[in-house]
Amino acid sequence: MTAIAIEDLVFRYPSGVTALDGVDLRIDPGETVAVIGQNGAGKTTLARHLNGIHRPTSGTVRLDGRDTAERSIASLSASVGYVFQNPAEQLFASTVRADVEFGPRNLGRGEEEARRLADRALEATGLTPFADHHPYHLSPADRKRVALAAVLAMDTPVVVLDEPTTGQDHAAVTRIARIVAALRDEGRTVVAVSHDMDFVAENFARVVVMAQGRVIADGTPGEVFTRSADLERARVEPPQMLRLAAELGWARPVTTVPEFLDALRAGPSGRG
Amino acid sequence: MSTTLQFYRAGDSWVHRLNPVTKLAFVAAVTIAAFGVERLWWPAALFLLLEVPGAVIAGVAGRFVRMVLGFFAPFLVILFLLQGLTYPEPGTVLLHLGPLEVKTEGLVFAGTTALRLLVMVAAFVLLLLTTHPGTLMSAMQQAGLPPKIAYVVSATLQIIPSFQARANAIMQAQQARGLEVRAGGAAARVRRLLPLMGPLLLGALTDVENRSIAMESRAFGRPVRPTAYTVVPDSAAQRAARWAMLALAVLVIVLNTLGVFS
Amino acid sequence: MIRFRDFTYAYPTGEAPVLHGVDLEVRPGRFHGLVGASGSGKSTLAMAAAGFIPHAQGGESTGEVTVGDLVVADTPLPDLVTRVGLVQQDPFDQISGARFTVREEIAFGCENLGVERGEMVRRVDEVMERLRIAPLADRSPYELSGGQQQVVAVASMLVMRPEVLVLDEPTSQLDPAGSRMVVEALAAVRATGMTVLLVEHGLELLAEHADELHVIADGRIVAEGPPADILTDPRLDAWGIGRTRFTAAAAEARRDGLWPRSRPLPATLDGAAAGFRAAANGELE
Repeated sequence: MTAIAIEDLVFRYPSGVTALDGVDLRIDPGETVAVIGQNGAGKTTLARHLNGIHRPTSGTVRLDGRDTAERSIASLSASVGYVFQNPAEQLFASTVRADVEFGPRNLGRGEEEARRLADRALEATGLTPFADHHPYHLSPADRKRVALAAVLAMDTPVVVLDEPTTGQDHAAVTRIARIVAALRDEGRTVVAVSHDMDFVAENFARVVVMAQGRVIADGTPGEVFTRSADLERARVEPPQMLRLAAELGWARPVTTVPEFLDALRAGPSGRG
Repeated sequence: MSTTLQFYRAGDSWVHRLNPVTKLAFVAAVTIAAFGVERLWWPAALFLLLEVPGAVIAGVAGRFVRMVLGFFAPFLVILFLLQGLTYPEPGTVLLHLGPLEVKTEGLVFAGTTALRLLVMVAAFVLLLLTTHPGTLMSAMQQAGLPPKIAYVVSATLQIIPSFQARANAIMQAQQARGLEVRAGGAAARVRRLLPLMGPLLLGALTDVENRSIAMESRAFGRPVRPTAYTVVPDSAAQRAARWAMLALAVLVIVLNTLGVFS
Repeated sequence: MIRFRDFTYAYPTGEAPVLHGVDLEVRPGRFHGLVGASGSGKSTLAMAAAGFIPHAQGGESTGEVTVGDLVVADTPLPDLVTRVGLVQQDPFDQISGARFTVREEIAFGCENLGVERGEMVRRVDEVMERLRIAPLADRSPYELSGGQQQVVAVASMLVMRPEVLVLDEPTSQLDPAGSRMVVEALAAVRATGMTVLLVEHGLELLAEHADELHVIADGRIVAEGPPADILTDPRLDAWGIGRTRFTAAAAEARRDGLWPRSRPLPATLDGAAAGFRAAANGELE
C-alpha cells in the first residue's frame, strides 16, 4: 500500500509562471481524493508530480517515504497509474488490446498475466467488444475509456484520473463511478482531478480544493462544499443537491441525492 | 516549450518597426549587390557597414552574431576546404599538403564567395530577428502574396512545434505505463521512436480532416477578396526606399561592368 | 431555419446508416439543444446540419436537409458557410494556424468574408468581451489551455455572425463556470436573431437556457419538446441520457409522497426549490 506525502511543493514552468505555490498534502493508502478548482488552479500540475511527469522546482513528493526525485517515470509507474486527460496523447498501439497490455508487459507481468489483467480492464470499461479495433477508429469518448483501461490493467496501488468524466455520457459516467468504487474496495488509492461536482460528491470521500497553485480547503464533501467563501474563491459551483438545500434554507450539508432524501424524510428537525 | 518556430526578439527599434517588405527588399538588394562585384573587400564592407550597424541599432547584435556564425561556420569550413585546396586554375602556390596545393587565388575565391553568402545569410537573420512571423506573413499578404501560400507557411511554423509537443506527450505516456527510456543504446531509442510514427501520423491525419472542415467553416478560400485585420504600417518613404535599394543594387552591377571597382 | 426531412445517412466507410429517417426543425431565433448517448449520432447530425455531410465526408443519404431556402446537398459549401457556422469538438484542430495571436485568429473568418476593417475590429472586440477572453487577445492561440482554445473556437464563429450556429460539445474541456459563461453567451446572442443548435452533455445548463430539446438515440430522433418536459421524461434512462439530480431527487420524493403530486418534476434548481418549498408548506396534492 502506498502513502503519498507532498511537502511544500513549488513548481514553476520554464516560462516563469508559478503553477504550484507551496502545496502540502498527505494521502493515505486506500483514500479516494478528488482535486477540484477552476481551470489553471494547478490541479493537473499537482497530479503530474505523483508519477514524475513534472519534477518539483522545490519541495518534495514522497511515495511510501521514498523521494520520487531519484526515480524515473517508468519506475514510478509500478506504483502510480496515470490516466491523462487527452486520449490522443496516450494511445499508440494498433489495437485496443495491445494498448491495454502495453503497461502490464512493461511492468514484467508476463504474457499470460498481462492478458488476464487486460481482459479484466477491458471488461470493467465495457471495451471487450472493441478489443481488436484500432484505437483511432473509436469515437473520442471511447478512446478515453481505452486510456482508462490501459492504466487499470497495470494494477497499481495508486490510480490518478485526470478529468475522467469529460465528454462521457451518462452510462459511461456510471461505469467510471463503479470503477472508482471497485478500486476503493480493493484498498487502492484513487486521486481524481475533476470539474464534475456531482460526480465528486457521489464518489469521493475527500475533496481537495485548489486555487492559484495552493490547497485552500480539504475535507469531506460535506465539509468542503459548505465553505462557500473558499468555493467562491476557487470559482467552484457546489453540487446540485447542496445548492438545492441552500436554496431551501437547510443548515445540514447534503451533497448527494440519497443524503438529500434522508434529510427530507427526517423532517424539519433533521435538516438542521 | 515554444509554440512557434521563430527567432524573433521583441523590440521597438527603428529596424523592428520597418515594414517587413522593406526588410525583404533590403535582403534582395544587398544580396544582388554582394554578388555583383568581384572584390574581396566589397561584401565585407556591406556586412560591416550596413548589416552589423543594423543589428546594433535593433539591439540584437549578440544574437545576430551567434546565429550568423551558427548558420555559417560549417559552410565556411567546407568552402575553404573545397575552393582553397582544389582551385583548378593555375596560380601562386602558398603551401603543399601532400598531393594538394593551397593557392592564393583559391583562397581569395573562397573568401569572396564566403563573404557574399555571409551578406545574404546575415540579411535574412536580421529580418527574422526583428520581424514577428505573423507580421511578416501579414505584410507579405498585403503586398500580394496569395492567402493559400501565406497559410501554408504560417501553419507549418505553428503546427510543427505542436506536433513535437504531441510526440513528447506520447513518449511521457509510454513511460507512465512502465517503458524505461533510459535503457538501451541509440538503436533501442530509434526502435522505440518508430512505433510513435503511426499514432502521430494517424492523429495528424484526423487533425487535417477536422482542420480543413474548420478552415472551410471560417470561409477560407472563398472567391471574395479577403480584408485584413492587421494592417502592417507602410509609408510612401518606405515604398520609395525599397525601389531605391533595388535600383542601387543594379547600379552597382552596372558600375562593376564598367570597371569602376577594378 | 434548419430542417431535416426523413434524412438517412451512412458514412462511406460504414455499412449501417448512422442517422435513420431524421425529421427535425430548428426554428429561427431559437436555442435548440441536442442530447443523446455516445455513438447515438449527435456529431453526425451536427455535421449534416452544417453541410459538411455530405459535402466534406461523402457517404450515402436519402431525404433532405435544408437551411433556410437552400437545399444543403445542392448548395456548394462556400455558400453554406456564410449562413451556418460549425464549432467542432476538438478545439486544437479548429485553430487555423493562419494567424499568430488570439485576436487575429478570431478575426480570420471575417477577413475571409471580406468584412470591412473597422467593422471587423468592433466585432472582434465585442465577442472577446462577451466571452471574457480579452486578456488573451495578444497570446498565441497555440499556447492556450484546451478550455481556452474552446472559447476561442466559439468566438471565431460568433464573430462571423452566421444565421445559425451549430456547436458540437463546445465546452467539454471547460470548468463549470466557463461552460456556464459560454452557454449564457449563446443564449444571449439569440436576442440578435441568431439561431443556435447545441450538442451538450450538461443537462442543467440546457434546462436553464434551451428553448427546445431533441433527443437522439441510435440515429433516430426519439423525442423533442421543451426542456422541462424532455428532462423529466421517464424514458431518459432508456435513452442513455441520465437526469439532473433535481429531477432524480424529486422523483424519489414523489414516491414517498414528499413532492406535490400535481406538480411536474423539476429539471432546474428553481423548479426543485419551488416544489419542495410548496411541499414543506403542506401542498402535497
